[in-house]
Amino acid sequence: MMKNILATLVVSTGTLALAASAFADYPERNIEGIIQWGAGGATDNVARSLTPHVEEALGTSIVLTNRPGGTGVIGMNTVLTKPANGYTVLYGAENPQLYPIMGLADFTYDDMTPINVIGQGLVVIAAPADKEWANFGDLLDEAQANPGTLRMGGTGAGGLPSTVLAMINSVDELDVRNVTFGGDGPGITAMLGGHIDFMPLSLAAAQEHIASGRLKGLAILTKESIEELPDVPPITESLPQIESYLPWGPFWAVAVREDTPNDIVKTLSDAYEQGVANEQFQQFLSENGAQSLNLQGEEAEQFLNRWQSVTAWALEKAGSAKVSPEEVGIPKP
Amino acid sequence: MADSLAYFLMSWTDLSLLTLTAVGTFAGIYIGAIPGLSVTMAVSILISFTFAWDVNDALALMVGVFCGGVYGGSRTAILLNIPGAPSAVATSFDGYPLAQQGEAGQAIGLSTVMSVIGGLLGVLVLASTAPVLSEFALQFAPRDYFLIAVLGLLLVGSLAAESLSRGIFAASLGAVIGLVGMDPVTAEGRFTMGSMQLLGGIHYVVVMIGLFGVAEAFFQLHQLNVKPVRQNVEKIIPSLNLVLKFLPLSIRTSIIGVIVGALPGTGGDIASLFAYDHAKRSVKNPSKPFGKGAYEGLVAPESANNAAVGGAFVPMLTLGMPGDAVTAVMIGALVIHGLNPGPMLMVTTPHIFWFVVGALVLANIFLLIFGLMGIKLFAKVVELPKAILIPLILVLCVVGSYSLNNSMTEVYWMLGFGIAGYFLKIFGFQMGPIILGVILGPLMDNSYRQAMASVGDSLPAFLTELITNPLSIVLTIAIVLLLLSNFPLKRMIRGSKNAS
Repeated sequence: MMKNILATLVVSTGTLALAASAFADYPERNIEGIIQWGAGGATDNVARSLTPHVEEALGTSIVLTNRPGGTGVIGMNTVLTKPANGYTVLYGAENPQLYPIMGLADFTYDDMTPINVIGQGLVVIAAPADKEWANFGDLLDEAQANPGTLRMGGTGAGGLPSTVLAMINSVDELDVRNVTFGGDGPGITAMLGGHIDFMPLSLAAAQEHIASGRLKGLAILTKESIEELPDVPPITESLPQIESYLPWGPFWAVAVREDTPNDIVKTLSDAYEQGVANEQFQQFLSENGAQSLNLQGEEAEQFLNRWQSVTAWALEKAGSAKVSPEEVGIPKP
Repeated sequence: MADSLAYFLMSWTDLSLLTLTAVGTFAGIYIGAIPGLSVTMAVSILISFTFAWDVNDALALMVGVFCGGVYGGSRTAILLNIPGAPSAVATSFDGYPLAQQGEAGQAIGLSTVMSVIGGLLGVLVLASTAPVLSEFALQFAPRDYFLIAVLGLLLVGSLAAESLSRGIFAASLGAVIGLVGMDPVTAEGRFTMGSMQLLGGIHYVVVMIGLFGVAEAFFQLHQLNVKPVRQNVEKIIPSLNLVLKFLPLSIRTSIIGVIVGALPGTGGDIASLFAYDHAKRSVKNPSKPFGKGAYEGLVAPESANNAAVGGAFVPMLTLGMPGDAVTAVMIGALVIHGLNPGPMLMVTTPHIFWFVVGALVLANIFLLIFGLMGIKLFAKVVELPKAILIPLILVLCVVGSYSLNNSMTEVYWMLGFGIAGYFLKIFGFQMGPIILGVILGPLMDNSYRQAMASVGDSLPAFLTELITNPLSIVLTIAIVLLLLSNFPLKRMIRGSKNAS
């Protein structure tokens, strides 16, 4: 009997001490960083370049693990099933904002607390260099003269090319054959071999090929031309109506579970803010055709909501949404 | 030219680079030997680990791990009938029978030498014809990948030892397993039964560990009382005569390896199966029957999968496009180190190309040294009592599958496939065709749908392209010939004569 009481006492004091220290000096052990895309991809590269600078600010190690699959559903689900104690963080891309309307999952970044919206990638519509088109307007003319014959490289429903196609179709008409590849890389390979006619790509993936002269940029998804590719016209030149959706692009964010204690969220937010602001990381972003955002707290939430509502309603308007944004409570932009 | 040579020799003359390549190769062999610890995983971990290093140091280590890892998979394939990696599946077909006949040492010795020959030939092709080969690889349209997948599935005839119908069943089962997960085109779940975990599909390495590792361990329980074969550990280094005898086969299968490796989307796993099939068809009088310990059945896949390493670097270094999963991760590493892998890589940073070529050659030399070291000790693994060996295998299988994604889900799947594989084995099914299906099923599915989408979903247009494009014609003819060679035409003609 005495033994039992003693044991209970020891255990409870131990628990108390643990609980107290958890609040006092977070982080006291390694943090697990779950990347929702595979090794070597854009999200993975961003996560692995950023993390060492955050580790420095945080004074602990962040162990990165790739949990790819299901457009990132698996990775996000993994984080949502771990305790909300700040020891598991998600490195994600833009996809979770479209899960409900693609019928993939019923969670989005709304179900998490954003720590940092790191940056946004630019999008360029690229074609093989031997195409006669000078800009996106020429492509649009040819597609409208021969509907359903041009081959567009895609990455599946909910992927970047389909979303861009939907945006274009919500303001104009572009009827093409959508050929699905496993990602930007395999799509570019097919385009270099002349097996597809054009593909909307992240600037990071396309810029080296445009610089080498094997691909050409027909339009960039911005209102004004950009420094990295001065010769590529902004899409608004050929398609002014699309302006209401811009600026638009894929983004990367870090998030934790919604019910994580506030002081832990604060510690993480500060560390990631410092990490993203690091000069070396900023240089990495600009070299890879991305704009730094470094948003925390309310600003981050606003960004995420706007992105979701603009994109989801564009998909709905083009008839590409499986579930209406209205049904899942996404407000109109 | 002088510059290129200087970059080529960089890893040879700098002590720290030399050491890193050696360490990488050594570690790679053991990472590769453990089923589930994959080269892709090791290289991804190395990215974070080498973040602050100089890019050459990081590359030297990764190249070493890549070379060592591809070779290492053959170790456990020969000793335990458990391929350490999918590209070593074909090695187990004849490697394990050799170990059972007391020739594990000789089998490892031969596979080491052949791996190095294949590896060096792969590097030679990379160094001499990389730009040409990558342009050639770009010509492969989705329909050609579809034809390659069909050609690959026809290998089932070679892999299904006794019963073709069982082989076809096993390959179909594999293809269905490979298709589980999110449909890449429509983003709908396929065979997921509403489970979110299954959206990501079933990792094919999990299938492999279950079918080969666990099923094999269970199966060996039947032979608990059988005394292990005493291993002959004399003359483990193959004689020059033996090497020369197999050199033509090794060269032929290395060419298969380097081409399949250079195609983005296919790698050493498919290459080694093609090579095994080629050996089976082209060698009339093997040293022992195929499947019962033919040296030729060891030479072919081992040359091919190591040659595929050089091949995989071809699109990576010339175009910035990955040739396989490992080079995909290495491209990420280059990006993080501030380089721009792309078609300009060879123009703006030519030293990377020659540095990688030099490190690959060096890694192959270390492979020869480390591979031939300690064989006597390894061969003794087969002599371990089953009561020790079987639990050890099971532990390795659990560790391997857990570490794929750091999750128990994979462990449960692996055990499930292990139990299923055990019963399939009892009923005389081969494991090779299942893996073939798992690997080729998704390739066939994707490429067929890409090809059909490209021609506006018109079947006549698709079929016309198969016989009008030069590359497609060659592949179509190969398929027709392969099919015809499987039908006993002569016997049929003779049969009809007898009947009349």
